[in-house]
Amino acid sequence: MRRFNGRRFFACTPSKPVDDCKTGTETIRAMPHSANSNEPLVKIRGLRFFRGDRPIFDGVDIDIPRGSITAIMGPSGTGKTTLLKLIGGQLRPQAGTIHVDGQDVHRLALRDLYKLRMRMGMLFQSGALLTDINVYENVAYPLREHTRLPQSMIRKLVLMKLEAVGLRGARDLMPAELSGGMARRVALARAIALDPMMIMYDEPFTGQDPISMGVLAQLIRRLNSASSLTSMVVSHDVHETAEIADITYVIANGEVVASGPSKEVLNSDCPWVRQFMRGEADGPVPLHFPTKRSLEEDILGEAHRKTGTCR
Amino acid sequence: MPLMESLAQLGRIGLGIFERLGRGHLLLAHILAGLGPLAVRPRLLIIQIHSVGVLSLLIITVSGLFVGMVLALQGHYTLSQFGAEDSLGIMVAAALVRELGPVVTALLFAGRAGSALTAEIGLMKATEQLSGLEMMAVDPVKRVLTPRFLAGLISMPLLAAIFSMVGVLGGHFVGIGLLGVDEGAYWSQMQAKIDLHEDIYNGVIKSLVFGFVCTWIALFQGYDATPTSEGVSRATTRTVVHSALAVLGLDFVLTALMFGD
Ligand SMILES: Nc1ncnc2c1ncn2[C@@H]1O[C@H](COP(=O)(O)OP(=O)(O)OP(=O)(O)O)[C@@H](O)[C@H]1O
Ligand SMILES: [Mg+2]
Repeated sequence: MRRFNGRRFFACTPSKPVDDCKTGTETIRAMPHSANSNEPLVKIRGLRFFRGDRPIFDGVDIDIPRGSITAIMGPSGTGKTTLLKLIGGQLRPQAGTIHVDGQDVHRLALRDLYKLRMRMGMLFQSGALLTDINVYENVAYPLREHTRLPQSMIRKLVLMKLEAVGLRGARDLMPAELSGGMARRVALARAIALDPMMIMYDEPFTGQDPISMGVLAQLIRRLNSASSLTSMVVSHDVHETAEIADITYVIANGEVVASGPSKEVLNSDCPWVRQFMRGEADGPVPLHFPTKRSLEEDILGEAHRKTGTCR
Repeated sequence: MPLMESLAQLGRIGLGIFERLGRGHLLLAHILAGLGPLAVRPRLLIIQIHSVGVLSLLIITVSGLFVGMVLALQGHYTLSQFGAEDSLGIMVAAALVRELGPVVTALLFAGRAGSALTAEIGLMKATEQLSGLEMMAVDPVKRVLTPRFLAGLISMPLLAAIFSMVGVLGGHFVGIGLLGVDEGAYWSQMQAKIDLHEDIYNGVIKSLVFGFVCTWIALFQGYDATPTSEGVSRATTRTVVHSALAVLGLDFVLTALMFGD
């Protein structure tokens, strides 16, 4: 087991992150937000998930403590979105368990899964707004589906949520008339419409200008402290995210390579993390999608291999 | 081992077909399970009847008119050789109500409404709208597919009836207006010979079956599409091709069962 900064509560190892994770999260559990129960809200154990033969996750353990903001970082294509879909029960892992609020997501009956999802908000990377209804109706949608509130009440709630993301003035626009960043913020307003117990944000900051980025970060922070909400933020925006997140997990190559309080992870000497945080092309995290042949072989074909062996 | 290779290939294709069939039936069961909850939200259904049925009216009436007119021309040519021009009415009406109404309407429906359904559902999948609904704890099949299915089922017989009606008028226009057939004979023969059970009901049953199959195919292709632009475009093509083949094949079977004694 490699240890890079000697601190006990900080884990940085690609091979066996579990033990250190525990010590890492122990400190977090004592945080002021942590609610009624000491159990983490989301508990992932031994998660294995394959796309075809390619492992996306190979034995991942993650704890999301209640009331915290947890950041999940990692290079593009490591499976961050996949992780959120696994937690939401939209994908089924080949092995391992995911417990949300004490319930095993993949063993629930469909009805119970839907009940659980009502308490989980998810902000999709693409926004995933319904394109045939306008912004107002999109935000009102979950309220109309799951509550029997009168119209006037729904109106108040929708306008409040839209105000929170700074888009009250855009309520009559259709999704096609929004920019990518605006669509994401409308989707956020929709995700918080039902006041869920946890929200999963998939890349909330991409496509936002510095102002709305700051507003969003504040909003996520505020939502979290106002109610006993638990948040998971998947993001590439290292510093923006580390600013608001209590805990950070860094995923690469299907494993948790680093985890612990955000500040520690951010300032760590761990090469995996340092490469990712500083955006270096060279390092333990490969930029390239896995392949069996070298670039020379791919480009020059068999000829290269033959001359290569001759020499 | 080219033989083994091609045998294995054949097996894979066969398995693929059966797997799709299985998924199609599971989806159908899921869609049907949504009919109950739909009863409390009639608005969803009305919106879909508008987009699936009402918006298909133009193409259905125009096609019905021309098919009726051509039928009268062709029929008149044949009938006049036997001096039986007076039977033009019954000939036009029977052909439309028994055969052309349900079949041509279904083919047009697949092209107009079915392809639109597939593209819509496929794009909703590609843009994660269906996933989004799932995560909002809304069942996308019951919420999105079921109303469209029922709308197709309701619209098809009505469209086929309108097609036949307009066709009879088109035949009347050509037969009486251009070819000089006796108007009284045109209507009275039709009234006397077209049977409510034998012709009309059977025609309605046909178009109900076609409505069921065409909408089912369209929804399944959209829901099962590869969530990319290419996948959606291929699914749309498959909807039209599969619907056309299914309608023509089923038409033969149904006709043999109903009229062949
Ligand atoms: N439907 C799919 N079929 C097959 N493979 C998929 C599918 N969706 C994703 N993958 C693969 O799974 C891996 C993880 O994808 P995922 O979308 O979770 O990445 P990500 O970490 O969210 O990346 P990004 O930061 O770019 O959003 C990718 O390498 C991708 O190739
Ligand atoms: Mg992603």
